[in-house]
Amino acid sequence: MAALTFTHQNLLHFTPKLMTSKPYLKPKRTKTKLSIQTIRESPQASFTDQFVLQLADSLEDSLPSSSSSSSLPLQKLRDNSSETLLSTQWPSRKDESFRFTDTSFIKNSDINPISHPPNSLDLLEVSRDTQFESFNFVDGFLVDSSFSSSNLPDGVYVGSLSKLSSEGILKRVCELLGDFEWGDLFWSVNGLGAPDLMVVYVPEGCRVENPIYLKYVAVEGADKGSKKMPLSNPRVFVLVEKGGEVGIVEEFVAKVGSECYWTNSVLEVVVGEGAKVSHSYVQNQSLSAAHIKWTSVRQEKTSTYELVEVSTGGKLSRHNVHVQQLGSDTVTELTTFHLSVGDQTQDLHSRIVLDYPRGYSQQLHKCIVAHSSGQAVFDGNVKVNRYAQQTDAGQLTRSLLLEPRATVNVKPNLQIIADDVKCSHGAAISDLEDSQLFYFQARGIDLETAREALVFSFGTEVIDKLPYSFVQKQVKDHVKALLKSRRKGSS
Amino acid sequence: MAWQIQCTASPPPLPSFPPFTLKSTSSISLPLPLPLPLPLPRSSRFRSTHAPSPRPIAASFSAVESTTSTDGLGNSKTPLLEVKGLTAVIAETKQEILKGVDLVIHHGEIHAIMGKNGSGKSTFSKVIVGHPDYEVTGGDVVFKGENLLDMEPEERSLAGLFMSFQSPVEIPGVNNIDFLHMAYNARRKKLGEPELGPLEFYAYIYPKLDLVNMKTDFLNRNVNEGFSGGERKRNEILQLAVLGADLAILDEIDSGLDVDALRDVAKAVNGLLTPTNSVLMITHYRRLLEFIKPTFIHIMENGRIIKTGDSSLAEVLEEKGYTAISAA
Repeated sequence: MAALTFTHQNLLHFTPKLMTSKPYLKPKRTKTKLSIQTIRESPQASFTDQFVLQLADSLEDSLPSSSSSSSLPLQKLRDNSSETLLSTQWPSRKDESFRFTDTSFIKNSDINPISHPPNSLDLLEVSRDTQFESFNFVDGFLVDSSFSSSNLPDGVYVGSLSKLSSEGILKRVCELLGDFEWGDLFWSVNGLGAPDLMVVYVPEGCRVENPIYLKYVAVEGADKGSKKMPLSNPRVFVLVEKGGEVGIVEEFVAKVGSECYWTNSVLEVVVGEGAKVSHSYVQNQSLSAAHIKWTSVRQEKTSTYELVEVSTGGKLSRHNVHVQQLGSDTVTELTTFHLSVGDQTQDLHSRIVLDYPRGYSQQLHKCIVAHSSGQAVFDGNVKVNRYAQQTDAGQLTRSLLLEPRATVNVKPNLQIIADDVKCSHGAAISDLEDSQLFYFQARGIDLETAREALVFSFGTEVIDKLPYSFVQKQVKDHVKALLKSRRKGSS
Repeated sequence: MAWQIQCTASPPPLPSFPPFTLKSTSSISLPLPLPLPLPLPRSSRFRSTHAPSPRPIAASFSAVESTTSTDGLGNSKTPLLEVKGLTAVIAETKQEILKGVDLVIHHGEIHAIMGKNGSGKSTFSKVIVGHPDYEVTGGDVVFKGENLLDMEPEERSLAGLFMSFQSPVEIPGVNNIDFLHMAYNARRKKLGEPELGPLEFYAYIYPKLDLVNMKTDFLNRNVNEGFSGGERKRNEILQLAVLGADLAILDEIDSGLDVDALRDVAKAVNGLLTPTNSVLMITHYRRLLEFIKPTFIHIMENGRIIKTGDSSLAEVLEEKGYTAISAA
């Protein structure tokens, strides 16, 4: 359970930023808060509440007035979220799940929820950029795209909740949406602020051939260094019924020139019995942006969920993954690669909860920190509860620190209550292997080229798992360019 | 190549032959043999390399060497590799492994070093190619007239030295063909030739696969990842075939191979031999020497070469073991 902090070569202790403690601030309001969380020592809490309250107010103001009446599930979600927000504080370093992740960068900015989709000119630009048929979110708003739904099999619905005509699907969405006890403040912020809900529905036994490509584009963004931070809250709900199969590709990018913004995205996935969801998640945000994402997955028995993630962007990027097992014989695979080439924090918090027998879960997390003030955080929790006998759970994290003072905080942890299980986990933090470098040199390849090839190959193991070659290629080019820019910058 | 080496290593007062005018343009690009201890008068040039050795074994050495000076290629006898009194320690522990190795390899010769486990054979080959695990503490190594010990590992490779690793490392995420491509282009760049694009390179490499009896998918796998013992060795020889070398050091190329694979590998090596390039094999077993016939066999013990002889030495070894030789 102990967290490991490593710094490259020159051992530099991780210095937690001291919160400006305001001792004995008069308690402004007393919240009826039955806190299950750790008890705070100072009444600083009331200060944070105030901030969250303001944020909640501005989120409510930003909502399009028309949508409130239309969709019941969304209204329910907003009510619940709003209620939760009132009893949630802005996370500090004292919260275990934010121990190594400093969110003050967001808090100290002038957060401004985006209330309107951008003008049509910008939209045109976005759709022109798109190389592949995709569903586009622009600043959190789902825009009508070129994608023709006729390409989809019968019974499949992909689109806005507001345009959903099928009562049956609506009912299912209503039952399942937002039913999640593990969320944090950011989950609730999205629940309250999401202007719309995109629904991906795959009916029983239906196999969707082509992946559903979701492209999230940030258009409104302030200049780098500016205090302004437009906030968007895209939200997607995926429901795959019994025996269905679908691939979801999520890509996060920004319009050129948009630098400082905050994307706070949520994806909920329900994988029915024997169904399969293959999820690719590519995060290429601006290096000055804040990017927080939740992925919540519920898996019925004999279902399969596979995630491949490559995150390279954002000044602060955090991915929370929660996989909940709802039946036996599930297969869960999480394969993730994080890259910090600048003054960036890349954070993955994952939790896999196994409550039924014969589950299989495999997790590989890799990260490269290639900047002296770059940081990577990994907290990977696998819970093997009492009835999850004969679980096969493996977890491996490997980190590569390429600069002095580059930091990684890894906390791989397995909590096992069942007694008949096969579990393994491991963590390795290193520079490049000397033996591998020498192998290159022995064949006449200079050290610099060898290093570059090895650094790139470190991530390739994950990138190669992306199930679609066009995504693979795009990601490889992007990672290559980032590593190259770093090399130029340093020399 | 042999010509150029000869001319640069020759003492200045040599009369110039007509072909020199032609060769001289290219010989300018050759590194000058500055630290090279120049050979003594031609009549004793072989003896000279071992003459200073105060050890009694020097006698057997020069005896063998002098016999070769009369046969073989005869015309160019400037050594390809000349090792004198090489001592080396493990970088980390400072434990001395090589305790004064002497060895001379000429163009076109095949040498084998045999010896017990821990005698320093593999260390010797690693030190020659500049492995960072070892530190050279004394002695000279001259390769093609240049001081090898001053060169980085990649420079040694580009100079024409190749070592096949005993147990090559896996490099996950790097494609075999990409790796070969990178190495091959590094070589072309060094020679001042334009680099090859992926397609041209594929055309170049494709016929070489037959040589090591490998299928095309071999190229698309990650370097050594999940390779069997035999595949790893074949891959090393494929690299040798692609990159070429004046001196190929084959470190236990026979270990972990069944007879068929060994025959394949040996056939490939034999196929790569030319009158000018040389091979140094490191091995435990005579079996390999039946496939690749050595000109000389050296026995290594306790960080030194204690005996040198022709291929008949292997038979003595087979019959009487290393103890008989070290006692002799």
